[in-house]
Amino acid sequence: MAASAKPVDARDIEVLHRPNIASADVQLPAVRDYEQVDREISATLSPTAAWYIGLFTAVGFLLIGIAAWMYQIYSGLGVAGYNPPVMWGVYIITFVFWVGIGHAGTLISAILYLFRAGFRTTIYRCAEAMTVFAVMTAGLFPILHLGRPWKFFWLIPYPNWRYIWPNFKSPLVWDVFAILTYLTVSTTFLYIGLIPDIAVLRDRERNPIRRRIYGVLSLGWRNSDREWRHFARAYLFLAAFSTPLVLSVHSVVSFDFAMGLPPGWHTTIFPPYFVAGAIFSGIGMVFTIIIPLRKWFRLQHYVTLNHLDAAAKLCLFTSLVVGCAYMVEWFIAWYSGLQVEQDYFWNRIFGQWWWASAILYTCNMVLPLSLFSQKLRRNTTWLFILSIFINIGMWFERFVIVIPSLSHEFEPWQWSGYRPTWVDYAILAGSFGWFSMWFLLFIKQFPVIAIAEVKEIVKPRLKKPHDHGIDVAGQHLAFERETPGEHE
Amino acid sequence: MRGVLGHFRELDLAVEAIEELKRGSFGPITVYSPTPRHELEHVIAAPPSAVRKFTLVGGLLGVTFGYWIAIWVSDYWPLVVGGKPVASWVPYTIIGFEVMVLVGALSTVAGMFVNSRLPKVTHTVGYDARFSHGDFGVWVECDPEDAAKCEDLLRGKGASEVRRER
Repeated sequence: MAASAKPVDARDIEVLHRPNIASADVQLPAVRDYEQVDREISATLSPTAAWYIGLFTAVGFLLIGIAAWMYQIYSGLGVAGYNPPVMWGVYIITFVFWVGIGHAGTLISAILYLFRAGFRTTIYRCAEAMTVFAVMTAGLFPILHLGRPWKFFWLIPYPNWRYIWPNFKSPLVWDVFAILTYLTVSTTFLYIGLIPDIAVLRDRERNPIRRRIYGVLSLGWRNSDREWRHFARAYLFLAAFSTPLVLSVHSVVSFDFAMGLPPGWHTTIFPPYFVAGAIFSGIGMVFTIIIPLRKWFRLQHYVTLNHLDAAAKLCLFTSLVVGCAYMVEWFIAWYSGLQVEQDYFWNRIFGQWWWASAILYTCNMVLPLSLFSQKLRRNTTWLFILSIFINIGMWFERFVIVIPSLSHEFEPWQWSGYRPTWVDYAILAGSFGWFSMWFLLFIKQFPVIAIAEVKEIVKPRLKKPHDHGIDVAGQHLAFERETPGEHE
Repeated sequence: MRGVLGHFRELDLAVEAIEELKRGSFGPITVYSPTPRHELEHVIAAPPSAVRKFTLVGGLLGVTFGYWIAIWVSDYWPLVVGGKPVASWVPYTIIGFEVMVLVGALSTVAGMFVNSRLPKVTHTVGYDARFSHGDFGVWVECDPEDAAKCEDLLRGKGASEVRRER
C-alpha cells in the first residue's frame, strides 16, 4: 500500500488519537473475550420486575386502543374526528409516523453495513427489531382508517369470484406492495441475522423446552465454514436489496400525498423530503430505545459513547437535510407565484396552524442544532431528551402535512378545522402499547446486541501476538490498542 | 461419515492445522468457528458462494411477475382514464420494483438455505457446542487407516482435544 511508505506526520497522529468509529475499525476495549460476550449479552434475557411492569403497561395501553377501535367499528368512522373536508386525520398521520420510524432500522442495519460503518455493530439489532415492530404498527393504521376494515384484503391482487382486481395506478395499491414487501424483507433480514445468535443461546440453554425451541429457531445452525460463507453472501445481498427498498417505501408513502392536488401536497420534493424525515425520526426513536436499554442492561461498554456520538452526527445531518427541505418548500411556494399555494403556506406557518408548525420547526430544526456540540453528543441524558422532542416533532411534521392542506384547499368554502376525538387519542396510545409490547417481548427472547458480530471485533484467543486492522497511515494496529474515548 | 475432530482454543493454531491438513491431502475439511474470521476464510480458500445465482434468478422472476400482473390486470379490465394508456409502464415500475425486491430477497434466503444445507434436523457429526462460544473446531473426514496420522498432526499443531467420530 502506497500510504504505508509515507512517514506519519503530526496531523496523522492527531487523527489517530481522535475517536474514529465511522470506519470499520471499531474496538471494544472493555470486552475482553468471547466468553464475556456470551455471558453478558445472554444475561439480558432474564426477566426483571421492571420488565414486567413495562410489559403490563404496554398491554394496558394496547387494550385501551383495542377498546376504542371496537367502539369505532360499532359506531362508525364518525367517532374519529373526521369532519369534511378533513377526511384524513390522526390515523394517516400516525401511519406515516410509524413507517418513518422503521426506516432508521434499515438504514443502520443495511446501508451502514454496506458502507462498513463500525458504529452500527452494537446498535443494529435493536434498530432492526424496531423496524419490524414499527412497520407492523404502521400497517394497522390504513386498516383502522377503513370504514369496513374486514375488507382490507381486497387490495391484494388474487383471483376471486368477483372478477375484480385492484387498480395498479392507485398510490394506495403501491402502498400495499411497498409496505408488505418492506415488512417481509425487514423481518427476513432480522431473522437471518439472528440465526447464529440463537445457536449460541441453544448451546448455552439448560432448560430442555427452551433449548428445543431455540434449536428449531436456529434451524440446526452449526457455525461451519460453509454456513458462514453462504450466510455472509446472503446477508450482503439482503442489505443490497434493503437499501433501495427503504428509499422506495417512503417515496411511495409520499406519493399518497404528492399524487393529490391539494396545495402543499402536489410537489416533486416529497419523496426525498419524506425519506430524510423518516430516517431522522427513526434515529430519534433509536436513541429513545437504546439509551435506557444500555443503562438497564449495563451494556455501556458495548454501546459506547463513541457509538452514540457517531449516531448523533447522523441525526444532525438528517436534521439539516429535513430543515433544508422545509426551506425549499417555503421558497417554492413563494417562487411558484401561485396565490393558493402562498396563501396555504401563510396559513400553515402564521395562521390557523402556527402552533403545530412552531412545534415542528423547534423540535426538528432548532433543537437538533445542539448536536454540533461534541459535549452534548456525548451526553446521554441530553440525547434521550432530544430524542423525545424529535419523536414529537416528527409526528407534528406529518400533522402539518396532512391537516393544513385538507383544511385549507382552493376555495374559502372548503376551509375548515380539525379536532381529534378521544378515540383518535386512545388508538394513538394503543399503537405505542402495541409497539412496546412486541419490543419488550423481543428483548427477553433474543439478544439485543448481535453476539456473532460483536465477536468479530473482539480479539480471539491467539498463541502468538498478531496484528489486526490498519490505521490511517496504513500501519497495522495491535489488537490491544484502544480507541480513545470508549469509556464514559 | 468417519473422521477426526481437533478442538482448538486458539485461532492461529487452528489456521496452522488447516494449512497442514490441506498439504496432507486428507478428506474434506470442515471448520467450526464462533464468528466468521478472515484468517480462516483465507486458509480454507473456498470457491465463491452460489447464493448470487439464486438472487439474480429470483430478482428477474420477481420484476417480470410484477410488471406482468399489473399489465394483465389492466388489459383484463381495459378502462381508459384521462386518455392515458391502459397499461402504463411508469406506475407499474413501482410494482415491478417491489416484487423484484420481495422475490429476490426470498430467493437469496432460499439460496442460503440450500447451499448451507439448512435446516439440519439431525445431529451433526463433529459438532461441539463449544464451537458457538469461543473455540474452533477442525473436522477432517478420513479413512480409519489415516485417522492416526490426522490425530498426530492435530495434536502436534496444538489441539486441546482430539477425538475420532463416526
